[in-house]
Amino acid sequence: MNKADVTKNSELAEELFEVDTLVELDPKSLEFYRDDAGFVSLKYQGSEYFNVRLTRLLPFYSKTTYISVAYDNEDREFKEIGVIKDMSEMSPEQFELVNDYLEYKYYMPRITKVYSIKDNSRGFIFVDLDTTSGRKTICVRDWYSNFRLLTDKYLYALDVDGNKYFCEDINTLDKKSLAVLEIYI
Amino acid sequence: MNLRLSAPKGKNLDDYLFCLPFNLYGRPKKVDGHLLVTKDKTIEVYIDGELKESFGFEDFDEYACEQLTGCSVMVGRKDDVTVKRICAFTNDEFISFAEVCKIINHYLTTGVLVEKSDIDEPKCPKCHLPLDGYTECPYCASKVKVFSKLVKRVMPYKWIFLLSILCTIAGELLNMVTPYVNRILIDEHVIPAQNYEKDFEVNGFILLCISLVVISILKVAIDFVNMKSSYYVALNIGKDLREDLFKKTLDLSMNSVSKKSAGELINRVSNDANTLQSFITDNGKQAIVRIMSLIIVAVIAFVMNWRLALMSILPIPIVMLTVKKLTMTIRMYFGRSWRCANNHSKLLHDTLNGIRVVKSCGTEAQEVKKYEAASGKWAKAITKAEIIWQIFWPMQDFLLTFGNYLVLFFGAKMILNQMPASWGTMTLGELTQFTSYITMLYTPLRWLLNLPRTFANASVSASKVFEILEEQTEIQDSKDCVDLDIKGTIDFDHVFFGYKVYNPVLKDVSCHIDQGKMIGIVGHSGVGKSTMINLILRLYDVTQGSVRIDGVDIRKISQQSLRSQVGVVLQETYLFDGSILENISYAKPNASFEEVIEAAKIAHAHEFITKLPDGYNTRVGNKGHTLSGGERQRIAIARAILHDPKIIILDEATASLDTETERMIQEGLHRLCEGRTTIAIAHRLSTLSNADQLIVLDKGRLAEMGTHNDLMRQKGVYYSLVMAQRKTTKMKKVEKAALV
Repeated sequence: MNKADVTKNSELAEELFEVDTLVELDPKSLEFYRDDAGFVSLKYQGSEYFNVRLTRLLPFYSKTTYISVAYDNEDREFKEIGVIKDMSEMSPEQFELVNDYLEYKYYMPRITKVYSIKDNSRGFIFVDLDTTSGRKTICVRDWYSNFRLLTDKYLYALDVDGNKYFCEDINTLDKKSLAVLEIYI
Repeated sequence: MNLRLSAPKGKNLDDYLFCLPFNLYGRPKKVDGHLLVTKDKTIEVYIDGELKESFGFEDFDEYACEQLTGCSVMVGRKDDVTVKRICAFTNDEFISFAEVCKIINHYLTTGVLVEKSDIDEPKCPKCHLPLDGYTECPYCASKVKVFSKLVKRVMPYKWIFLLSILCTIAGELLNMVTPYVNRILIDEHVIPAQNYEKDFEVNGFILLCISLVVISILKVAIDFVNMKSSYYVALNIGKDLREDLFKKTLDLSMNSVSKKSAGELINRVSNDANTLQSFITDNGKQAIVRIMSLIIVAVIAFVMNWRLALMSILPIPIVMLTVKKLTMTIRMYFGRSWRCANNHSKLLHDTLNGIRVVKSCGTEAQEVKKYEAASGKWAKAITKAEIIWQIFWPMQDFLLTFGNYLVLFFGAKMILNQMPASWGTMTLGELTQFTSYITMLYTPLRWLLNLPRTFANASVSASKVFEILEEQTEIQDSKDCVDLDIKGTIDFDHVFFGYKVYNPVLKDVSCHIDQGKMIGIVGHSGVGKSTMINLILRLYDVTQGSVRIDGVDIRKISQQSLRSQVGVVLQETYLFDGSILENISYAKPNASFEEVIEAAKIAHAHEFITKLPDGYNTRVGNKGHTLSGGERQRIAIARAILHDPKIIILDEATASLDTETERMIQEGLHRLCEGRTTIAIAHRLSTLSNADQLIVLDKGRLAEMGTHNDLMRQKGVYYSLVMAQRKTTKMKKVEKAALV
């Protein structure tokens, strides 16, 4: 390879690896706001991004850390502005705004009590539970996959409608709930 | 589907076209919201009974539902860009809102406002289980109606079935005679002889013994005929069901087939048909016999001694209920141990398959720890299940036969005259006969207790099977359809289509394809390229507009005539388990061997086939796994050449192949496409460089159409696609250079 080729390749390589760099956003400079259309937009370091996409990179295990902030450019291509490493470093108002939006986007009631589980012996179970959104009976299909522990203690449920429920630590549930759950998890 | 569910306080449901409640509104807190669609084409959003916002239908170009992670939103779009979030809801409301969006969009494109939704309810209104493409919930369908259909299936074999019933009845009657002979044997020969009351009567004794032997021989003969006739009926009904199901499944439209997974269809053809097969022989026949035997045995037992008979029956309901409850518990514990075993083997499979990764990462200790945890959990679960089983089993046995102990206790007391006079007396032979009958009573009772469950299982299987057998095929030949000798001109005329009614894939696509030309369809993934092909093949019918071949709407062309003149080569070639010869001649089974060789030669397949030890008789194995991707593709091309189609469809035909193989296959394809209308899809845009025209799709719409040079000059969507691909190629070169 001659010198010119090497220079050309290193330029291209720079271009190539630019997308691979993790951009950590400065929490203090972030200025999110909600517009009338119901979107969250952002002013950051002199630029304004409309309708940004906020994503929890670890939705099950961490709700306020590693939040990806992205938008679609004029060509409707996905562009990531960067990642908020820890939301707690943002101002309280900004934290509330972002957290509020994320809680809404990832709307997932927390399970607080399990009353009973009925198996219809055809792959469905009906779980009567109390959640942060009230008491309800959910129907779970293929419950081996959709009603299970993700870790030793994190319970995850996905009902037939596509609604998700969770309990981050089943050990915080009462003894009766644990006894009901024991057979199924 | 009902789209008028509830209105805010003070509003009348009947004043609106659609009223849907929603529970989220931009915040993670539940709200009492309503979306009302009025007859004068406005959308009103109410929160807690107060009007929050209102829009005219024409405020946006398109309405859609977008799924966020935990909830969904109804949005308004302009120029394909989402500009407004109208309301949000949990995912259980998704289908209703999507249907409203579809109806409003239909109004925006056609000016016709549909007032009622034509799609089925997604859930059973009775049990709330998802219907999953069923028209009627299999769990709630009328069981009598379902079983009457099943009974009709027995009719062709009614005489043999009747014979099996008669044999079963005869067998049951013989069973009842045996205890009676035993009683005479004991009371009139054994006991008197033992007590020296009279001389042992040899003739009578021998006669009774002979009768017992004759009964046994008769029983064996009857059981043999019974078994033979029962199996004949059952296996034939099963065979009929399976064949009818298979035939019907192949006749169903793709729309209908894709609602059910391949696994689900296989399950219906094999498992559900088998469930019905055994239900008919086991339970259909037994239903008559068991009930008869229950009545006869109960009458005999009560006539012999009603007090003892009552004593033997009384504990049964309680015992059966307890047993049922315990069985449920045991099933759960064993289910858990099965799950643990499954997790354990999954982990084992995973680790051993990826052993190179484990070793190269040095994570052996970590994997051992994971394995120990899974193995320990399994051992714990199985121990628990076994302990419960070992306690349960003897207990169940004891409880089930508890009535017998009571009968023996009080019966013995009656023989010894220790019971009050009102109880009467009993001989040893009578007690033996009585206990035999009581034992015989338990069998039909046990069967009766299990009947609801067996009946319910069979009913679900029957519903599933009959639903397919009775399903109306959506894509049908119209009465005035014609067999067209296709020339190859294709027209798309304002075509709208979506696999799911609420999610249109193609929007207002119009184009003309000349006979004998090669057309390339390009665009991003999921833009609707393969959908256009599916519509040409009429695997689906358009929602709106029409697809015409040689000026004739394809809905007016018979499916057989259409598909026999269209050849398809897909990215993933499907080869059936058979020889190369069978696979090439699949589309034309009566082709001569010379024709097959000729097709293979044109497809550049002949050379590699001759190098195989078994030549054209080489078995390709399941899905053709014994051949390489390029070889499989060449067989598919040979198959298409032999088919001699008027229209050729190449759906990413060379996408999974390396450049050298692609070059060889391109030659075969070139020969195949000569003089035929060809429609090709390829991600690798260079593959389509020799196309006469390119159709560029963007977000379901036809964005551009023209030759490669024209489109490059236009600098539109196609230009950006080419540029993006060139950039990727450049990047790959850099990566390669870096590695060198």
